[in-house]
Amino acid sequence: MSYALIVSEVRRGVFEERNLDSIGLGALLGKETVLLAPDGAYEINEKLVDTVVKVKSAEDVYLNPMNMGKILEQVFGARGKPDYILFTQSSSGTEAAAYTAGLYGFPVITDVSAYDKEAGVFLKSYYSDKVFGQFKASGGPAVLTVRSGSFREFAGEKAAAAKAETMEGAPAVDSRTFVEYVEEEKSDIDITKAEFLLSIGRGIGNQDEVASYEELAGVLRAVLSGSRPVIDKLWLPKARQVGTSGKTVKPKVYLAMGISGAFQHIAGMKDSDCIIAVNKDAEAPIFQYAHYGIIGDIHKVRDKLKEIAKA
Amino acid sequence: MNILVFTKRVAATQEEELRITGEGQAVDLSKVPFKVNDWDNYSVEEAVRIVEKQGGAVTAISIGDAESDEVLRRAIAMGAKDGFLIDSGQVLHDPFARSELIRSFIDKEKVPFDIIFTGVQSEDDQFGAVGGILGAIMGLPYSSMVVGIDSVEKDHVVVRRELEGGLQERVKIATPCVLSIQSGINEPRYVSIMGIRKASKVERKVFKAADYAAGTAKIEVVKWVYPAKKGGATMLAGELADVCGQLLGILKEKGVCQ
Ligand SMILES: Cc1cc2nc3c(=O)[nH]c(=O)nc-3n(C[C@H](O)[C@H](O)[C@H](O)COP(=O)(O)OP(=O)(O)OC[C@H]3O[C@@H](n4cnc5c(N)ncnc54)[C@H](O)[C@@H]3O)c2cc1C
Repeated sequence: MSYALIVSEVRRGVFEERNLDSIGLGALLGKETVLLAPDGAYEINEKLVDTVVKVKSAEDVYLNPMNMGKILEQVFGARGKPDYILFTQSSSGTEAAAYTAGLYGFPVITDVSAYDKEAGVFLKSYYSDKVFGQFKASGGPAVLTVRSGSFREFAGEKAAAAKAETMEGAPAVDSRTFVEYVEEEKSDIDITKAEFLLSIGRGIGNQDEVASYEELAGVLRAVLSGSRPVIDKLWLPKARQVGTSGKTVKPKVYLAMGISGAFQHIAGMKDSDCIIAVNKDAEAPIFQYAHYGIIGDIHKVRDKLKEIAKA
Repeated sequence: MNILVFTKRVAATQEEELRITGEGQAVDLSKVPFKVNDWDNYSVEEAVRIVEKQGGAVTAISIGDAESDEVLRRAIAMGAKDGFLIDSGQVLHDPFARSELIRSFIDKEKVPFDIIFTGVQSEDDQFGAVGGILGAIMGLPYSSMVVGIDSVEKDHVVVRRELEGGLQERVKIATPCVLSIQSGINEPRYVSIMGIRKASKVERKVFKAADYAAGTAKIEVVKWVYPAKKGGATMLAGELADVCGQLLGILKEKGVCQ
């Protein structure tokens, strides 16, 4: 039977919004869409897919890539192998996708952000979105991870609710087990509440520069935030990180200095009312998302802004 | 504890204009500088720290051309004992082919290990899939996105995995296993030019990729394309003072700055 299997992600009882992108791509592929989900009392719009298969597994068992391998074995046993297996492009989605591909010898393409139906090719980012490869897969169902925000507009409601099925869970492996969740440390600064964020990236060059951007933020009455490398290098605390693994922000103004615009960063700030980007590289992907752009050296812009604003 | 760490030499494209050649056949990297993959820098550091505390050895392995020797010397300067280059001549775009090459290499050369580290992704292709495929085809447990290794015991490790929005999960994994290390897990030590020069005295072994089974690629790039242009930004142009004046004007108009 010909179908696209959508392995949805449910965490702490929430059906993650990025599943909509997998559903959207599933619809574009034009196959029967079968959505796999763990047992639980969360909400799903059942009109978005043809069939929903609930697995009687605890959420943390389902999210373990090694157990997912076993669960999929049962799915294949019951319905045959699909044409495509769609995972979310996320921490657990990517992990399970790669592991599944390895277990079954299936081709895998991660971070799929567009599909060209006529050519039958999937677009995958290289070099942080500076170029894209058009990929073709062969020799088995293609395992894909779907970039969040890329396909949800194609997730349309069907006339009827999905067929509902349930499936026994597979026994959990003991070579990898979930222990507990660890919350981020509390911080007195909440960048999600700021109206104006000045966000700095790796382009600032070194830690000594941070203080002068802090000063600029003070002069402009902005709150300082940063991209991941700035946090990884401990130039700013984790609570100030913008992006998928940090905070999602929607300030009135987001002023990005020395940030290239990788998808994980963009996902955390693209809904800001006004995005202004300063970067010396005219081809930096962030200019595609910004409302205003300045091509130039951020340090010079910083110094001049301070000078004018103070005057 | 013997740890194998995979490290890759990648194009540093963040500040470069990339040109696609011909009808989309290739991306021209001839004028682009190269460096160690950021994620691998963190994983070499993490491996060296474990071995410094608990004993054992770190072996750095790179798949690439002869120039990849550079990242091996770097790893040795950081504390790896050995550096192995699997000379592949050309780029293997398919992560599956890379994982199969690695498995075949480890099997055939009988490389001993307790844990295999990869970076979460390489900056160039951002696949983030080699570690997971490798774990599965070697029959080993796997975790990606490791931002902390809380304890290393005789038969297992306890690690923290990064999820989204600042959340983490703690998981227990039996060894031997494969772990993909996320950036920010540690502060990689500084590597001086002197250190790298000293490391060059340590012999690095070179192996030919062709001597190992790599399987056939399951995916292929049909064509390279530039990103589709979205709306794009309104560019502020002119003298520096003028541009900054315009920027401040926008801030005022948006009501965030007097
Ligand atoms: C699982 C995962 C999760 C991630 N989560 C996040 C996240 O939450 N947030 C996040 O930000 N990233 C995240 N990342 C990392 C992301 O992929 C990018 O690596 C990162 O966003 C790049 O940060 P950057 O733009 O500051 O640095 P770079 O990409 O290095 O860009 C630096 C920019 O500065 C410019 N520049 C340099 N010098 C100057 C100068 N003097 N003047 C002007 N411009 C200059 C350059 O042209 C370049 O565009 C994640 C990655 C992974 C794999």
